[in-house]
Amino acid sequence: MIEEDNVCKDSIYNKLFQNLSTSIYNFIYFKCGDSSQAEDLVQEAFIKLWENCAKVPQAKAKSFLYTVCNNSFLNEIAHKKVVLNYAEKTGPSINKQTPEYLLEEKEFEKKLQKALANLTEGQRTAFLMNRIEGKKYREIAEILDISVKAVEKRMSQALESLRKEIKNI
Amino acid sequence: MNEKLLHKFLNNEISDAEMETLQATDMYRDYLKIASTTSTMQTPAFNRERVWQKLNENTKKQTKIISLPLLRSIIQYAAIFALLFAGYLYVTHLDVSVTSHVAEKKNLTLPDNSEVVLNADSKVIYNKKSWNKKRSLSLKGEAFFKVAKGKKFDVVTDQGIVSVMGTQFNVQSRENHFHIACYEGLVRVTFDKQEIQLPAGNSVIIENGVVIAQQNISATQPGWMLNESAFENSPLITIVEELQRQYDIEVVLKIRDKNILFTGTFTHTNLEAALKTICVPLQLKYSIDDKRGVTIYED
Repeated sequence: MIEEDNVCKDSIYNKLFQNLSTSIYNFIYFKCGDSSQAEDLVQEAFIKLWENCAKVPQAKAKSFLYTVCNNSFLNEIAHKKVVLNYAEKTGPSINKQTPEYLLEEKEFEKKLQKALANLTEGQRTAFLMNRIEGKKYREIAEILDISVKAVEKRMSQALESLRKEIKNI
Repeated sequence: MNEKLLHKFLNNEISDAEMETLQATDMYRDYLKIASTTSTMQTPAFNRERVWQKLNENTKKQTKIISLPLLRSIIQYAAIFALLFAGYLYVTHLDVSVTSHVAEKKNLTLPDNSEVVLNADSKVIYNKKSWNKKRSLSLKGEAFFKVAKGKKFDVVTDQGIVSVMGTQFNVQSRENHFHIACYEGLVRVTFDKQEIQLPAGNSVIIENGVVIAQQNISATQPGWMLNESAFENSPLITIVEELQRQYDIEVVLKIRDKNILFTGTFTHTNLEAALKTICVPLQLKYSIDDKRGVTIYED
């Protein structure tokens, strides 16, 4: 066996946690919509990583964490609706908008919120990873272990059904 | 076409011109709005610090769990290592002991290249490992030292300690007879809470903790190194003891005054000649009874 910097090293393990924990938390939240469940699963996944640190090379740690989270998510049943907060929009542009426009905007956000909750879990996860986390298709494909084409498809389908839902509400 | 541009937009790779093309269609304008609005959304705050803390509590417990086969091999390796280490310590910290037997002389070189010549029936013990830190050896019998320059050099005997800096000197420590001769440099003799500085060309004889003689010497090395033993006003018993050591014989003294004094030398290479040089001046007779027995008697 070739000795390489494996995850058992405290400094590497710490760095992985700092870099990946938020992303993984989001990933779970996109799936289940439950923040405390997501927190628990993040914790669980990192414990599993620690237990297997000798077997997991640093380069494989990320996919290990996502896979473990996905598996534990599939084993848990409780799903809630995905409820997302809105980032506070700051800047001068906001002042130029009319009250009517802002109201319309609020209404739209509400509808979008509902529509997102009604997406399939697969579409929603890919869509929100791209939109909220700003991940590129290639990275999403890697994490979800699907092709880039499949990500494209999920994105298109997500947008299509979101548009339909918003129109219907 | 527009689908491709949409994905370009979602991947943040779209140009302004392409953006305009996309916004020309109603459906894609809706898509862009949905996509942009979603981007401003957030998940509920993730308390990374809290999870990290909980995680540390858990992983600390986890680290203590080591599977049995692994534990066993760790113990095996630890045991082997401990054994090797103990062996290493044993070998390196073991005192080196050099002994010369009766009728034998021995040369040895210490780790700092100091030279020691052991006269017959003598023994030195020193530690190789700590030699460079502390130059100290213990001596039983008689030896000549040619000490390399350096830190203090101690010769520890039952009767006292001889300390030097860098010099040539002879130490004889047999029974109650403690005889130190300095040939070069300066020697300090410590015995019985007393201290004597012995400059080059001087010797001192201490018997039972009392200085009995302090004399000048003209030789550059002790007589025994030239295969002869030299004595000045020494009791016959001392001479006979030395004779026994050099020739590996038993001497029977059939005389009344065993402390009769002798001054002179005897050779280590010819027993007959040695006996003559001792007996003739003292007007004594000798007989070689067999290979290992000699009798000295009065006329």
